[in-house]
Amino acid sequence: MQTLARLFGRSPFAPIQTHMSKVAACVKEAGPLFEALKNKDYSLVEQIAEKISKLEHDADLTKNDIRNHLPSGLFMPVARENLLDILVLQDNIADKVEDVSVLLTLRPLEIESNFEKPFLSFLNKNLEAFQEAHRIIEEFGELVESSFGGQEAEKVVKMVEKVAYKEHESDVLQHALLKIFFRDCDKMQYQTFYLWLKIIQMLAALSDESERLANRVRMILEVK
Amino acid sequence: MTVEVMFLLFAVLLCFYVAWNIGANDVANAVGTSVGSGALSLKHAVYIAAIFEFCGAFFFGTNVSEMVESGIVNPDVFADNMQIFIIGMLASLLSTGVWLQIASYFGWPVSTTHTIVGAVLGFGLVVGGFHSIFWGNMGSIALSWVVSPILGGVVAYLIFSVIRKKILFQSDPIGAAKKVTPYLVFMVFFVLALIIFYGGLKNFDFELSLLQAVGLSVAVGVVAALISASLVRRIKVDVAPIDERKQNLQVFVGLKKAQKHLGRVEAAALGSLHDEACRLLKEVEELAATIEVSEYKVGSSEYRVVEKIFIYLQIITACCMAFAHGSNDVANAIGPLSAIINSLEGIEMVSTLSVTKWLLFLGGVGIVIGLATWGWRVIETVGKKITELTPSRGFTAGFAAAATIVLASKLGLPISTTHVLVGAVLGVGFARGFGAINLNTIRDIVISWLVTVPAGAIFSVLFFYIIKAVFL
Repeated sequence: MQTLARLFGRSPFAPIQTHMSKVAACVKEAGPLFEALKNKDYSLVEQIAEKISKLEHDADLTKNDIRNHLPSGLFMPVARENLLDILVLQDNIADKVEDVSVLLTLRPLEIESNFEKPFLSFLNKNLEAFQEAHRIIEEFGELVESSFGGQEAEKVVKMVEKVAYKEHESDVLQHALLKIFFRDCDKMQYQTFYLWLKIIQMLAALSDESERLANRVRMILEVK
Repeated sequence: MTVEVMFLLFAVLLCFYVAWNIGANDVANAVGTSVGSGALSLKHAVYIAAIFEFCGAFFFGTNVSEMVESGIVNPDVFADNMQIFIIGMLASLLSTGVWLQIASYFGWPVSTTHTIVGAVLGFGLVVGGFHSIFWGNMGSIALSWVVSPILGGVVAYLIFSVIRKKILFQSDPIGAAKKVTPYLVFMVFFVLALIIFYGGLKNFDFELSLLQAVGLSVAVGVVAALISASLVRRIKVDVAPIDERKQNLQVFVGLKKAQKHLGRVEAAALGSLHDEACRLLKEVEELAATIEVSEYKVGSSEYRVVEKIFIYLQIITACCMAFAHGSNDVANAIGPLSAIINSLEGIEMVSTLSVTKWLLFLGGVGIVIGLATWGWRVIETVGKKITELTPSRGFTAGFAAAATIVLASKLGLPISTTHVLVGAVLGVGFARGFGAINLNTIRDIVISWLVTVPAGAIFSVLFFYIIKAVFL
């Protein structure tokens, strides 16, 4: 009887969902972070940056815990490499958010009126891409139940396509935003310009990593 | 009190101890999966286990008991010195009891069947010599130990693949489950009835030809399927049926179009018209959002209803598993005892039906008592740890295991019910049915094969010489 009880190992799917929700807690702070920056409340920016750093560390602890509990003797419906890749991609997103928050604390930046609106819509587009990817990870429970195929898998494929489209839209917005920056670069200091470019680059990585994550999930599905 | 009577009493005690052990530890395999998935409460599981274990033991336990009793060691070899044979069987029983005790103390996964077979084999080899063993039967038994888990796995894989494609992958899983369930019920009852009826139930002096057995099994299957069909129809579906979802989709598409047009109006309009357009646009967006959310939520509640349907199937297989387990494992307890009794009465080494019946009865009672006193606790423990066995998976693994075990009982082959169930679970795992399976358990099982049989043999020989020295 103990044989049967020992036969079932700890399923990694629920812990991966937990890790993703911790990453989501990180990403959620990006909105208030830039809101504080818009209001030029630099002490609040520092505060939120510190909070993001703590949340990212918390996510890292969960990530390591998952890796420790994936022994080679564990037989899963999804190959180990795919699961570990998904974990890495989720972790990258949290890292990027932390990097952005650090960048904002290096100099007292200002969201100028000439790029405020395009920048905020670019930011929101990236956050939306991540939210769609988060929804995909939340579907893991149903995917396990339906054993990664059939109608449930078709539904997830549509969600993956949605993430890909959001990433494309983010690219378009990034292009337009960069054009504005390079048009007006003479009006700002080089350091500020450099920092903003870096911030835009990191924010774009949010949707890029989300798309890669969605595609990774797509790879483990059984769709005709 | 003659030596023989002492042997008999000792043997009865040991037989009861082994039977109690089977009820206490092994029955959890049969019904633990149903408790783990939530198909049965602990109380109901114990009742079902008690009834069906006893029925399996009493009505279907003969073949395997005969194999253990006289199919491994040839009693005729000891015809001129029956006492040696009796002591040997006694030593086998004692060896099994001791090994079980040691194993449960250290928490090792040990198969009662392997121990008793190893013990009898050991005694026969050392004391009776090479020629006293029915090597043909022994070969079949060893082969069955390897084949039965594989067979359980293959059957489980096939059944779960069908369940995946025909139910879990469908766009309307609940409707598909309702349609497929009667066929599954037919299969369960047909297969088990055929195995039981073909060859007849010896205890009732009933013989059926193949055609009669098939016909009767088909009839049983059809009746069960019809009953299940009417029961399944009664299950309420508290989820939006597929027509409503199609309607939702049309509404959603329409709302998206409205959003597009209102956006144009908002961009072009001025003054109060602009404000009005803004307000309308916001309302439409909110409506679209609510429909989108409900479309995503449909999936999870549908699978819950599918699992609810499978709960009935799993309850059926719990009964089958308990029956199968009783039929195969009761022999572990009463096989040697039966041999002892027969040789004591000085009659031929072919067990008479009446003696076997009484022993089967006693064995069954022993199992039930073990279940009632200690087994329920083990069921609870096992059930808590195997919640991954959702009803659909539990049904698949349980039925595959039960069918394999009943088939082995029919063929008179003593197999390990635990290993067959593990094989069946692996089969479902290969069909991507579980989150994670610990393959190290397979390694543990192979190790237990290699260790248990020699251990049983060594202990049996040891106890034989001790008892012989004491009493002769």
